[in-house]
Amino acid sequence: MNLKGVKEKIVEAVVRASSIMTDDKKKIFQNIIEEEKSANAKWILEQMLENAYIAEEQRSPMCDDTGVPHLLLEIGKGKSLTCDLLSLIEDAVRIGLKKLPGRPMAVLGDDIQRIEQSCGLDELSEAVVPAPIIIKRVEEPILRLHILMQGGGPEIRGLTKRVFHHHDIKTVEDEIVQWSIEAVRYLGCSPCTLAIGIGRSHLESTALMTEAQIYGRHGVQTPLEKSITQRVNSCNVGPIGIGQGVSVLGTFIRIGPQRASGVRIVSLRPCCYMEPRLASVDIF
Amino acid sequence: MEQDILSLTTPIKVDEIKALNPGDQILLSGQIFTGRDVALPKLVQLANQGELVDMGIELTGGVIFHTAVSRAGTGPTSSNKQDIENSIVQLSKHGIRIHLGKGTLSNETILNMSNYDAAFAIIPPVTALLKKKIIKQNILLFPEAGVEAFHVLEIKSVPAIIAAVNGDSIFGRERI
Repeated sequence: MNLKGVKEKIVEAVVRASSIMTDDKKKIFQNIIEEEKSANAKWILEQMLENAYIAEEQRSPMCDDTGVPHLLLEIGKGKSLTCDLLSLIEDAVRIGLKKLPGRPMAVLGDDIQRIEQSCGLDELSEAVVPAPIIIKRVEEPILRLHILMQGGGPEIRGLTKRVFHHHDIKTVEDEIVQWSIEAVRYLGCSPCTLAIGIGRSHLESTALMTEAQIYGRHGVQTPLEKSITQRVNSCNVGPIGIGQGVSVLGTFIRIGPQRASGVRIVSLRPCCYMEPRLASVDIF
Repeated sequence: MEQDILSLTTPIKVDEIKALNPGDQILLSGQIFTGRDVALPKLVQLANQGELVDMGIELTGGVIFHTAVSRAGTGPTSSNKQDIENSIVQLSKHGIRIHLGKGTLSNETILNMSNYDAAFAIIPPVTALLKKKIIKQNILLFPEAGVEAFHVLEIKSVPAIIAAVNGDSIFGRERI
């Protein structure tokens, strides 16, 4: 096990997640720019794509809100996770944030001071600590780390809420579409990718929504995902909310086990145009 | 169809605002201010108390970009966060002509802002692109707020779209 090499790969992944738009996303942008009829929508989409190319070339952040690192670790057959390895991962993420550089936005102070933001911010980019790590068992014999950088705008407009489904998927879809239109309209960072998790509890659904951002692909859409995308797009929010052009690039849904009940818990995150900001590393 | 892009340089005159329409593409240049959740309510307080003049800060004709300023760069934050949206009409009273940010504002803000000849422009989050267009940056007030301090930036040809002006907007919907 080359621990130094592992650490370097994780550091690079933090920078990559924040500065490189995925190829499938860039291709979608190229396609919609070609087809776009609205001059304003086209102008904005061209700037977004240019931003992505500049960020990639300079290895600099695509967005000044570099986000909070969210980590998901897949552990496959024969692999093990130790406290030392978790420490190494956390340390590598810290170095990655420093190298990026991430926005120094860790809030200082005790519980109440942090809520009130009354003691200012830490000056160090690397003081932003990751959210609690998600660990997932997989069949493949791998130990793979996924790093998602989650910005604040989508967090304002995201939600986790119950839906009384009336034993009809259409009821759940209708609720998701209604929430999504509202979320995308006020986000200001569209065109979005909608990440959705449906499970038994708020925690489980949010974890599924996080997985949706990792495993979802714009080129591979289920009929339910396509339908949600189409319906939200028909509301003409448009890029950054200008009222014309494409609002949603795609929808990623993960559906988990369900509760024997008339309720489903749905977690929705309207990811901004550059998200999911994701990079993955095979550790061993 | 291509659209003409209007160039605006600070300080911006009332006549220039009156000539704008929702949907106009603009390129902004000159000195602009920045502020967001922490700085803007404090700035409103100082402006209402008449203390900004003594500090040598003139808001008339100014632009406020709703952004943090950090080594990661700049980019618009959501202007419809309460601390920010509540500052828009107040700062318009004190002469700010363009509020630059992202997201939809309420109809009430759009109408009240226009009473003071101010506009709301939106800008995509294009941090890497903006880095090339920011020539200088300095902290003016509230340095303790770190990246959320009140800054002045010198910018050249920053692209934006007029979202609300003269009581009209591109949004056309009520906030729920």
